[in-house]
Amino acid sequence: MERYKNVYFSAFKASLQAKLEYRVDMVVGIVTSMLMQGAALSFLLIVLRNTPTLGGWSGREVVFLFGMTAASLGGSEILFNQIWMLPQYIVAGDLDRLLTYPVRSLLFFLDTRPELHAFGNLLTGVVYIVGSLWTLHVPWYVWLGIPIWLACGTLIYTSALVVFGCLSFRFVGPFAQQLLIPLNLLQASRYPLSVYPGWLRKMLFFLIPYGTFHYLPGRVLFGKTAALWGLALAPAAALVLVFAAQAAWNVGLRQYDSTGS
Amino acid sequence: MTPSNASRLAELDTLRALFVRAVRASFAYKPALLLSMLSAGFAYLIPMLVWRHIYAARQQAQPISAQALFPYLLIAGCLNFAFAMNVEARIGQRIRLGLIATDLLRPVDFQLAQLAQALSDGLFNLLLVLPILALAFAFWGPAALPHGGAALAAFALSVLLSFVILFAVSFIFVQASFVTYSGYGVFVARNALQQTFSGLSAPLVLFPPGLRAVSEWLPFRHTIHTPAAIYLGWLSGAAVLRALAEQALWAGGLLMLGRYLLKRALLRFEIQGG
Repeated sequence: MERYKNVYFSAFKASLQAKLEYRVDMVVGIVTSMLMQGAALSFLLIVLRNTPTLGGWSGREVVFLFGMTAASLGGSEILFNQIWMLPQYIVAGDLDRLLTYPVRSLLFFLDTRPELHAFGNLLTGVVYIVGSLWTLHVPWYVWLGIPIWLACGTLIYTSALVVFGCLSFRFVGPFAQQLLIPLNLLQASRYPLSVYPGWLRKMLFFLIPYGTFHYLPGRVLFGKTAALWGLALAPAAALVLVFAAQAAWNVGLRQYDSTGS
Repeated sequence: MTPSNASRLAELDTLRALFVRAVRASFAYKPALLLSMLSAGFAYLIPMLVWRHIYAARQQAQPISAQALFPYLLIAGCLNFAFAMNVEARIGQRIRLGLIATDLLRPVDFQLAQLAQALSDGLFNLLLVLPILALAFAFWGPAALPHGGAALAAFALSVLLSFVILFAVSFIFVQASFVTYSGYGVFVARNALQQTFSGLSAPLVLFPPGLRAVSEWLPFRHTIHTPAAIYLGWLSGAAVLRALAEQALWAGGLLMLGRYLLKRALLRFEIQGG
């Protein structure tokens, strides 16, 4: 059993080492992903010039949400990025080889294509989180919860990508635009969910529960509510989404036709 | 007809064929098209919802009214969608695979051929956003319409110049692919600057002074803010002519810079493959 667990790590490590061969590409990727995060932050600067708070959240508190989404995005791109390639794998019939391996196909598929620009997102996210929490003088124990919420955010986002990605088994074609929907919803969750209309808030709590890994904990941490259950929902939401992703993958594989020859 | 005129006509015919082929290719994957529109619409909706909340909360006086802001955001989003051209991805991939060798051997100007393909992307995207503009008219009435016939004519010219500016900027950025052999980084870098300084998420009047000053010195504001301001009548008379002249200068200058950089890049470029 231990040997099989090591297979995932060894495959991830080999893929990462292969990517790290392209040094210039890595530097460009990191710098440009940080630029994209900076572009998003510039909109927040514009917004905060025109309003003192956003949905009752101060600028520093919103930066915490920015940091959590950026770091979760980066975590997913490092560990589970291959899902973006699924449509091409299906079109080319390249899943055949994977399905003959004695491994859990979904996990093995996901963890064998780390993206180096992810380090830029992760780094920017961590800087935002640390900067926000440091200047807000939060108690020490808050810092302990951050890695757990980040792990949950990474799992929720990745699972949502897998569910949407599995549509490619049904609608075959070399396009991955459906994956932009969970990505755009994640980007939407950078702002306090209270600024959105009810239908969008419901989507971000129930359809893809991004609100559970940063918005609800943030509300408790920044004293906007005394409802402590907001701190604990993220692991449950992540677990449900992981099961949903595995189920979508299983259903998708049953519909998978190899290209033959 | 002299031989040089005949070859020029043949080149134009080739560019036209490239344009038509690229438009057909865009229509080939309809589900991708619908999903693309859905996700783009959602991405543009987010800043609008944030602004909607700010204007509804009325915590402080705003430099422009909601009646002016929301049509602006819609025009800006539509323009940005229409300007989504795959220049970096297309050229980046050909550089990485070594296919650019065959492109450069063709008797067609490389930059113009890429512009023809980009124009087809733009025209195709423009057709897609027309129903959204019609929907906006249903919502906001005359506020979503161009500020008169002259504004519409100037807007059409401004959009064309905006497109050429954005193409020229993308073409300059893609020269970095000759070093990195990847189009992703250059696309993201250009896109980040475009999003920050073009006025996509807010008109420049809402920018903090520092950010606005930087925007004034860069070409990106001419890709979104200038045409949108002309459309809505925020610029009129001599101001429109000056804006169009600035756009033309940026477009010409950036195209020439792109040609120069391509020439320099090809001097030391190694073709991949073999």
